Order: sequence, then C-alpha cells, then structure tokens
Amino acid sequence: MFLQHLLNGITIGGSYALIALGYTLVYGVLKLINFAHGEIYMIGAYLGFILISLLPAMPPFLQGSLPLFLLVVFGIAAMICSLYGFYLEKICYRPLRGAPKLTPLISALGASIFLQNFVMISMGAKDRIFPQTIGMRAISLGGVSFTPLQLTIIFSSIALMALLYWFINRTRLGTAIRATSTDPFMAALVGINVDTVISVTFMAGSFLAACAGVMIGLYYGSINFTLGYLGGIKAFTAAVLGGIGNVPGAMVGGFLLGIIEALGAGYFSSEYKDVYAFFILIAVLVFRPAGLLGKRSDERA
Amino acid sequence: MNARNLRHDLFFYLGILLICVPFLKIHTLYVLPVFLGAWGLRRFADFAGENRLMVTLRERTVNSVLAHRRVTVGLILAVALLIPLGASDYLIEVFTSVILYAILATALNITVGLTGVLVLGFIGFYAVGAYTTGILTAKFALCGFWIALPLSGLAAMLCGILLGIPALRLRGDYLAVVTLGFGEIIRIFLTNLNGLTGGPNGILGIKRPSFGLFTLDHPRDFYWFALAVLSLVILIVARLVDSRYGRAWIAIRENEMAAGALGINVFRKHLLSFSLSAFFGGIAGSLFAVKQGFISPDSFTFYESVLILCMVVLGGIGNVAGSVTGALLLIAAPEFLREFSLYRMLVFGAVMIAFMVFRPSGLLGSRVIAQEIKDRADDGP
Amino acid sequence: MKKLLVVGLVGLAMVACTKKEGQEGAVIKIGAAGQLTGPEAVFGSDMLNGVKLAVEEWNAKGGVLGKKIELVPGDDQAEPRQAVAVANKFVTEGVVGVVGHFNSSCSIPASEVYHKAGIPQISQACTNPKLTDQGFDNVFRVCGLDDQQGKAAADFAVQKLKVKRVAIIHDKTTYGQGFAEEFKKNLGTGVEVVAFEGIAKGEKDYSPVVTKIKSANPDLVFFGGIFTEGGLLIRQYKAVGGTAPFIGGDGIMSEELLKIGGPATEGTYATFGPDTKEIPSAKGFNENYRKKYGEPGVYSVYAYDAANIILQSIQKAGAADGKKITPEIRAIDYNGALGHIQFDAKGDVKESPYVVWKVENNKFKQVK
Repeated sequence: MFLQHLLNGITIGGSYALIALGYTLVYGVLKLINFAHGEIYMIGAYLGFILISLLPAMPPFLQGSLPLFLLVVFGIAAMICSLYGFYLEKICYRPLRGAPKLTPLISALGASIFLQNFVMISMGAKDRIFPQTIGMRAISLGGVSFTPLQLTIIFSSIALMALLYWFINRTRLGTAIRATSTDPFMAALVGINVDTVISVTFMAGSFLAACAGVMIGLYYGSINFTLGYLGGIKAFTAAVLGGIGNVPGAMVGGFLLGIIEALGAGYFSSEYKDVYAFFILIAVLVFRPAGLLGKRSDERA
Repeated sequence: MNARNLRHDLFFYLGILLICVPFLKIHTLYVLPVFLGAWGLRRFADFAGENRLMVTLRERTVNSVLAHRRVTVGLILAVALLIPLGASDYLIEVFTSVILYAILATALNITVGLTGVLVLGFIGFYAVGAYTTGILTAKFALCGFWIALPLSGLAAMLCGILLGIPALRLRGDYLAVVTLGFGEIIRIFLTNLNGLTGGPNGILGIKRPSFGLFTLDHPRDFYWFALAVLSLVILIVARLVDSRYGRAWIAIRENEMAAGALGINVFRKHLLSFSLSAFFGGIAGSLFAVKQGFISPDSFTFYESVLILCMVVLGGIGNVAGSVTGALLLIAAPEFLREFSLYRMLVFGAVMIAFMVFRPSGLLGSRVIAQEIKDRADDGP
Repeated sequence: MKKLLVVGLVGLAMVACTKKEGQEGAVIKIGAAGQLTGPEAVFGSDMLNGVKLAVEEWNAKGGVLGKKIELVPGDDQAEPRQAVAVANKFVTEGVVGVVGHFNSSCSIPASEVYHKAGIPQISQACTNPKLTDQGFDNVFRVCGLDDQQGKAAADFAVQKLKVKRVAIIHDKTTYGQGFAEEFKKNLGTGVEVVAFEGIAKGEKDYSPVVTKIKSANPDLVFFGGIFTEGGLLIRQYKAVGGTAPFIGGDGIMSEELLKIGGPATEGTYATFGPDTKEIPSAKGFNENYRKKYGEPGVYSVYAYDAANIILQSIQKAGAADGKKITPEIRAIDYNGALGHIQFDAKGDVKESPYVVWKVENNKFKQVK
C-alpha cells in the first residue's frame, strides 16, 4: 500500500513540478508571482481535449499511430499555450513594469479570473470528458497496480524537465534567462534584451504547464474550468517548497508535494487533503522562506 | 498615432484573436463582443486620458464634491435612510447585501489600500464572524446577538492576529498567497468540523436580533441597523485615516524602509491594520449570519474574496468612499442584470486588468496613489 | 449645491418607482429556481425545461383560472446568498408558487423567505430531511428523502448483494454526507463498515482514497455524492486494481457518470425512482419532452410534476394566492407522470418508491 501511494504521489507530483517550473522561472526574472499561471495549465488541458476530440478529422497516418498522435497533441497545445503566456505578459504585466507591487498582482488575479470564466463560457461549465484513448487496464506488479498511462506520464514529465534543464543551461537564450534573473540591470548593460528574455520565460513556463495540463486530462479523463485554481496553488506551493526562483528546487518540490499529499491523504485523512498543501505553504513561507534548495536571502518581497 | 503605438495595438489585437482561436469552433459568437469591448476600453482610455474636457470635468466634479464634503455625505446618508420607505422587500434585501459588502470592502481597504498588503482570503474573517455568531446564538444558544456581535469581531480579530504574527513578516505576493491559504483552510475546517459547525449542513435557525421586545424582523428594520453599523465603521476608518496611525500606514505603503527609518514600528502597525480589518470583517460576518438565518460553507468561497477585492480596486484603492461605491456597483448591478450573471465574473476579471493597466487609482481614486502614478509617468520615457 | 439636491431627488424618485413591480391580474406567475449557470447548470436546465413543458401544456389548454401562466426563472448559482436574493425577487414579482432550489444549502434559506410570504415551494430534488423538518407548512418536495434513499440502498446491499464488508465515501456536501450516514445507519449489525471517508468536491485526484479503500478489501463501495466525483472515483478505483462494485444515489444517476468513468462503471448500482420510461403514466411526458428539449434529465419529470401540482392546486383553490394554494397542495391526490403523489403532514411524499438501477452495457437499467 505504501508503494502504491508513492507511485500515485509521483504521478501527480510530476505535473505539479512542471507547473511549478513556470512559477519559478517567472519569479526568477521578474521577482513576481504569475497568478494566472494555473489558468494556463487549465487551458492546456482544454486544448488537449479539443485536439484529441479532433482525432477522427486527422490525417490517416496520425490516426494509425497513437504515440505520434499524442506527440502532435502535446506539441500543438504547448505551442498555443506559449502564445497565451506571451500575451498574458504583454497585456497584464508589461504595462505595469515598475508600478507598485500591488498593481501587477491584482491584474494577474484579474487575468486568472478572466481566463477561467472565458473557458467556462466558451466550453461550458460541465466537466469535459476525454475520449478514452489510452488503455486504462491496470497492471499489477508486486502488490502495486498501475496503468501504462501512468508510466507514460511519469516518464514524459521527467523528459520535459530534462529538456528545460538543457534549455536553461546549454543554450544562449537559457544563459540570458539566468543572467537576467541574477541581475536584470547588468544583463541589460551587457546587451541582453530583457524584454525578449521575459517573454521567452513566460513562454517556456506556459509550454510546460500546457504539457502538464494535457497529461492530467488524459490521466483523470475529465477536466473542468476550475482545474487551474487548485492546480495553480499546489504547484505554487511546490515551487515555494523547493525554493522559489530555483529550477531544480521546483522539480524536487513538485514530486515531494505529490508524495506528501498522497501519503497524508492515504494514512491520515483524505478530507483534509487540500489542507496539507496550504499548511506546507504557510509553514515553509514562515519558517524557511528560501525553501529547501533555495539560498537564504533577506529580500522576500 | 505614431508607429510604435500602432505596433503595440497590432500586438494587442493579435493576442486577443489568438486567445480566442482555439475556442472559436465552439462559440464564434463571443469573440466579437470581447474584441469590441477591448477596442472600446482602449479607445476610451486614450480618449479620457487626452481629452482636456473630460479631465477638467472630472477634476471639477471631484473638487466640488470635496468642497461640499459634509453636504454630500449628508445627502447620501439621507438617500440611504429613505430608500427602504419606497422600496420593495426585494430591493431592501439587495441594498442590505450592498451594505454588508460595503463593510467588508471598507475593512479590506484598511489593509489593501492603506498599508498596501494584499489579502486574498478575506472571506475567512467573514466566515469566522458568521460562524461565531451562528454557534453562539443558534447551535449552542449560549448568548444573545448583542454579546455575539462583538465576540464575532473579536474571534475574527484573534484569527487575524494569529495569522498576522507569522505571516506579516512576509511581503507582497507571498503574504497574498498565505492569506489565500488561510481562507481556504478556514473553509475546509468549517466543512469538516461537524460537531462545531454542522459540517456541510451548516447552522440553521439563527434568529434576528431584537431590542427588548422589538425584533428586527422586517427587512427594513434590519437594513437600518446594518446601515448604522456601516456608518460607524466608515466613521472609524475615516477618522483613523486622518490620525497618526493612518499617516503611519500610508507611509508604510509608500515606502516601508523609509517609514521604518523614521521610527515607525512597521510590524506593529501592519498587525494593527490587519487585525482591525479582520475585526470589521467578523462584524460583517455576524450581520450576514443573522440576516440569512442560515450559514453553510458554500457562502465563503474564494470567489467572494475576489469579489470584495474587486470592489476595493474598482472604487479606488485606499479610498473609503470608493469601497462603498464598489460594493454598490458590484452587488446591485448584477442583481438588475440577472440574465447576464454568466458573464459576471468574466467582466470582473477584465475590469481588474483594465483598471490596473489604464487607471490604477480606481473610479474615485486615491489622492496619494494618483499622485504617485503621475510622478511615475513623469519620470518615465 | 443645487445640482446635488437634484441628483438626490432623482435617486429617490427612481427608488420610489421601483415599488410598482409585478402587476396583479394579467398573468399568473410561477417561479422556477435552481442553478442555471455554474458547474452543475445541467441540473438547473433539466428542471427549467420540465417546468416549461408543464406551463406550456397548461397554456395550450387555456391557462389556469382563465389566465395565462408565466414562468419566471431564477438563477441561484448554487449559492445560498443568491438563493435568498432569488426568493425575495420572486416574492416581489408576485410569484404564486415556486418549483425548486436544487441544493439543500439553497433550498433551506430560501424556504424561510417563501414561508414569510406564504408562497408554496415544491423542491424537485432536495433530498435533505432538514428542509421539511423546519416545520414550514408551505414547503413540499416531490422527490424522496435521504433517509428513505439510504435505507433503500442499505436494504439492497444487505438483502440482495449479501455484502459483508462495505466501504463508504461521501463528498462532504449536505446531500452526500447525509445520504452516507443514513446508509450506514441502515446497514445493520451483520455488515462491517471498513472505511468511512470524506473527499473534497471539485478535486480530480482521488488516488489516495481509492488506494486506501482497495486495501480495506470491501465487497461493496458506497458513494454519496454527484456523478462528477463518482465517475472519477470509480475510474481511479479500478485503475489501482479495485474490484468491488459501487453503489450510489440519485446524484450519480446520469449519463455523464458513464462518460467520465468509462468502462469502469460497468456493474455500478444507483438508487433512484422507478424508470420513468417504464411507468405508463410518464410516457406522454417523455415523448413531449424529447420533442422539445431532447433527452430528459433525471429530474426533469420531478420538476414537471411539481409544476403540475402547483397549477392544479391553483385551479382548485380558485385564486392565485399562495395562502389559499398551500392547503390545496397538502390535500392533493395527484396522478401524474411519476405516478401517484400525496403529501404527508411535513410536506414529504407519502410513498417513495426507490428502486435500484445497475449499469449494464454502458446503460442504466432498473434491477428487477
């Protein structure tokens, strides 16, 4: 039973980690929490739903091969969500750069509510149900049951994180992001276009969130427009837990939160499942604001 | 219009179009209003910002209202007092709701507007107040409403202090998220503590308050009572703003470090504003409990917190009269536009963005913030 | 200064004008309240369509007491505050009878408003016993109660399925928890309750709770709640290798459950009223409903009957006055689409014929 909880926790933790990366990246460059990030994740799930529903209209070579088709779905959803991220920054954050702290926060909150309700109105308030594409047949192995889908999700989230790690550490743009997050002013002085870097950061974060959204949609089979609220908060908790602004921290934090939740709900009380995340959030912020992997820093504003 | 502006505009519309594209298939109909709305807002903002006539008109109105402050307040109060005489029970109920939310918005404005601390779980204090009254007067019937009312405020205040002591060391976004967590935790506990709160069933049969033999049973009487409480709250807050405390709060909001250097105990002032706002939140909750007669966790969702915040933003951050205006607009207007209730939150979200981008000081505006924004614009390129 | 005075006077005048709402005489107004928007809007629209159908049929026959009937929809958004506002709006508009409120948390506070105004309220779906326990003479319901439903489910589990170990999950709502507790109470001593768990509504990930349930090894899993969570639970339970069948109530009786849960829902039980497709009396209703609004929802027929009861009582009372209609409703001996309906002193239906349904070949079928 412990192993089963662990596996469940890792599956959901992977998606928390992917979303948490978006928070962390944006925080790194802008020192600002992107409140609407959870909604991007929700929109990713909806895009996944729309695209998968389009399966019968797809060219035959895609219909024949499920992995290829899913890859295309992930790609398109992630690309569209990147645009969402791009425009989110353009509309809600860029005009407010340098304004008092409260202002971008409120506009982000507004964006979050707007997107949520926009999806509710255009897609309906009812839960949308994914067509059952991947076999849900459980495989039992040493007392642990899992589905092939679950394994796919775990491995693709790890692969995506590796991709991001490569992007941040090995590419020119990634280096620019790191430079900007260390010191935006100096980065601008050495010729980095800070505006571009910020846009790219938002896009990268949204890309990952969209992938997480599609995965979660496939995994649970039903999505609705409120998905982004809780998902966003939990991913944020994961980012804080690992140390916000710290990329490996967000990954560790995501998995850790998933596991804590699964074990807490499994062994204590499932009624309070959502409370665990909030308690962790408050406890970490109060007692160790730098998070598990973060460096101590005085400024937490 | 210069080239740069044009490019910016193009980006803007392209963005909106792209956001709509994936959902086009399902509802092509909604895209047009969104587009038109965005266009209209932009044009209007440009127009209002540049048009001499509109600027002077607004200035003149503000000045004349400020010059006749007492008269204005008196008139508004008179209208508010007379409303129930001519209105139906339904309208009175609506206006009572407006008053409750006005208390909430005024209370939230103490933290958001005066000290610049964003609180996202304000509904938590409201819930604590409502449940304290419910538990004391109905569930266990320990005391009457008049004892429960201040106790509700104090219970919420206690929560505020308990949350504030650790949380107020944090700033800005972090604090906002912690308060959001607080609101959610309160709601989850209300749902799960069956013995105390009745769990999801809530608390039933909370009685209206009475003066001796005279019960505030009629909506009209209750309206007046709520109005009296609101007036008291506004009076206290307005006096506080002008007091040493108020100045210290605004100083903290404007520049915390400088305020600290001037010898203001920043933490203590933060805590004071936080607990005070929690106290008024609790009072409003208590009124809500007796007004409804029934409370359940369904009434205290995150959306309500957002709604209250939206009132503060819309009316003008840091402006007491603005909070009341915000409450009036956001509670009364949807009531008359019930057919459009689907779009309510969509519009609120858009309004919050638009106000932050185009008019951060809200409808009525806060003098200090307006000045600050103006300075910023002057500094800018 | 003068300007301000004018503004104030205009404001007063506007307020005074609003008093003249709801003209008497021309039409008879019937209210239908429920969540017409929001995540569970499907229940609201099912209800509204049922009432609409009844009103249209009466109007086609020339209305009631020689007047046309007007349907006033009210959207409570499943929020208690909005429910009270809707109730007050109905009262102001001169509505003489109300079908609705779906949720108990909306019905209960709204019923107080209706009680004060003396307007009869018939809930089509509110199964919480508290609603009629308040002792209001004007509050009725045409659906069963959680205690009757809980008993039906428990009896079926004990007598037909002969289960020994039962796990119980509920969604922490008034409905879900009340139903689960009634079920537990009625199980008797021969059955062991191996788990009693609450879950958070609106959440998607129930893997911890289903893992726990699976390791408790029950013969049957009871779920008190709505189909959205029900479908996910069943699906995730089967995914962790669970094998016991699920049983639920009217809340999971929906095609949506089958869509969300997929093949995993096969063999799931639900307690509900008898199959209206098989009741001869509902045949006409089903045909007419389908023609106008498509496939009826589970509560459409209840709303339809509730509206018919109100309209019939108006006719009998001979006046469109809530206080005169109420005693007529209490005394009614009604034969409608649901069959025979009579109310007891509290306002509940006298007989509540709960039966058990089962999912077979991706369809709900009544267990014979």
